Amino acid sequence: MSRGVAGGGGGGGSNDFQWCFSQVKGAIDEDVAEADIISTVEFNYSGDLLATGDKGGRVVIFQREQENKSRPHSRGEYNVYSTFQSHEPEFDYLKSLEIEEKINKIRWLPQQNAAHFLLSTNDKTIKLWKISERDKRAEGYNLKDEDGRLRDPFRITALRVPILKPMDLMVEASPRRIFANAHTYHINSISVNSDHETYLSADDLRINLWHLEITDRSFNIVDIKPANMEELTEVITAAEFHPHHCNVFVYSSSKGTIRLCDMRSSALCDRHSKFFEEPEDPSSRSFFSEIISSISDVKFSHSGRYMMTRDYLSVKVWDLNMENRPIETYQVHEYLRSKLCSLYENDCIFDKFECCWNGSDSAIMTGSYNNFFRMFDRNTRRDITLEASRESSKPRAILKPRKVCTGGKRKKDEISVDSLDFNKKILHTAWHPVENIIAVAATNNLYIFQDKIN
Amino acid sequence: MEFKLEAHRIVSISLGKIYSARGQRGGLKLHKNLLVSLVLRSARQVYLSEPGCPPEPPHAACGPPEEEPPPCTTVWAAGEPPPPPQDEAARGGPRLPGADCEGPRSRRCCCGCSCCCAAGGGEANPADCATAGAAAPPPPHCPRKRSAGERGQAGSPVKKPRREVEDPPPPPPGEQEDMDTGNVASLISIFGSSFSGLLSKEPKGRRRAPLDGSETAPAEAAAEPGQICCDEPVLRTLNPWSTAIVAF
Repeated sequence: MSRGVAGGGGGGGSNDFQWCFSQVKGAIDEDVAEADIISTVEFNYSGDLLATGDKGGRVVIFQREQENKSRPHSRGEYNVYSTFQSHEPEFDYLKSLEIEEKINKIRWLPQQNAAHFLLSTNDKTIKLWKISERDKRAEGYNLKDEDGRLRDPFRITALRVPILKPMDLMVEASPRRIFANAHTYHINSISVNSDHETYLSADDLRINLWHLEITDRSFNIVDIKPANMEELTEVITAAEFHPHHCNVFVYSSSKGTIRLCDMRSSALCDRHSKFFEEPEDPSSRSFFSEIISSISDVKFSHSGRYMMTRDYLSVKVWDLNMENRPIETYQVHEYLRSKLCSLYENDCIFDKFECCWNGSDSAIMTGSYNNFFRMFDRNTRRDITLEASRESSKPRAILKPRKVCTGGKRKKDEISVDSLDFNKKILHTAWHPVENIIAVAATNNLYIFQDKIN
Repeated sequence: MEFKLEAHRIVSISLGKIYSARGQRGGLKLHKNLLVSLVLRSARQVYLSEPGCPPEPPHAACGPPEEEPPPCTTVWAAGEPPPPPQDEAARGGPRLPGADCEGPRSRRCCCGCSCCCAAGGGEANPADCATAGAAAPPPPHCPRKRSAGERGQAGSPVKKPRREVEDPPPPPPGEQEDMDTGNVASLISIFGSSFSGLLSKEPKGRRRAPLDGSETAPAEAAAEPGQICCDEPVLRTLNPWSTAIVAF
């Protein structure tokens, strides 16, 4: 299967690698409140923190507990570290529009001091949050007593130096910057630059470059809005900075193309440096060809040599040095190709699936329906389908591979395409940057799975 | 024929989506509506390219009926270039009187479209357009006429000159593709008449705002759910692009 960097996975056959259930977060209730639906999942750079955002505008951060020496086989668990309301619903009075509070993306900043910083965004506004710990408080103030009430200055006869006393750990989240009013359209991506000073935000038609310290200005670096909106043919669907080259970023479009831009070449990066597009297979043309070719996510590999794109039915890995076609294509759920009309009807065809790399770039993961998610090992070319379900949620229970029956006789344990639950979709997944730990968002639940080395 | 039915179905589903997109929380989703309009275009092309439905000449912007109440014009100004004046001059009976703004949207839409469809329709397929156009029916009759399907050639000679007048100069063949994929005559132009019917019920101010920002005018034009008009004449007049994009 997938070989992580940690553990003894190297060199052995793929059979010695299995995924096990670790934890599940969220209510078990069948009746899911819309606000609780998870809309983004992201590990921080070390993997010790895992952030989720939901449709209600809340951010929940989980922290990995230190490994327990008495139980060496079980890795540290993720427990709630901080919860805060990042965005509230707003109303744009000029346009008579409600602005949803749904968190579209969370991106962590690299850690530079004791505090943690992350960017969270809804459709219109990006916020920089500082998450800091407080485990001491000062006692023995002169001007106020222990309750906080001000003391009468005339009663103070002696001075004392306040001393720090330990207190129960308190994690505070405070908004440090609010980057607003820069996007006319809906923000779909944010990406922190490798210079750790700037970041980009992308909406349907424009990409802006920000400095983390400056909120009243941003630079527009891509603008694909046509002079006449009637001529609009494509929109920006995702954007990301290169992990190492601070002048390079890519953005994907609804037409299935990716453009790589170099900010050194010009201030406005409307002209790309590289243009990635795979020629369409004319034999598979249908009414919905354009929709299913729309790219929903683009992610650079950790190495920076490759990038991965997700469209409705497949995941493609591209070599940055080859623009005319991807080097690898993985079918996620090809059996849906014959169902596109129904999926169009029930809007599922517009679902935006994300994808992610493992730490060593040897494997990729993406979600599907029926709470299935898929992993592809790039070296062995093996793939596996797993399910995030409460049934297989016993501690350290090994996940059983799932299979969808595409036709003919359905074998035992297979599920037929028509039995798939299209309301149970896994759009957001995240892979720990170093270890084989994955976080999978299934509606309002967050599943955490770990590898088990036999 | 199967393809035609499927295309027809897809067109009606697409229109329904555009319509329901107006009420979505968070405003119109440009990406989704763009994709829907692409599907709409593909389906329409298939539908029209089926035997018996020759491809139409470049679409002419459908102007609002001359009887349009002021709000419609306002909407036009906000969201669209105003239609060529000759459209209104050319239109005659088929246009619904302004009073019919109150009528069911779909009827208005179709009747309105029939004129436009004249602009877009091929000669060999005058049928619905012709009848709807030439008959100058009062609104209540429209749906019946539309749904009746194939019609006689009666109106076609009448239609033709009107068509020609209504057409803006057709683009040179090389630009044909541009017109198809690029120049969007928004659905609002097609459903202009029915849209104005909605307008007349709502305060001007509110109408403007959605056009500026996010709403899809044609969504409303697509009538109440369940009353989507997707007959031949409508399809003929449907330009590839929805106003969803224009609204921005």
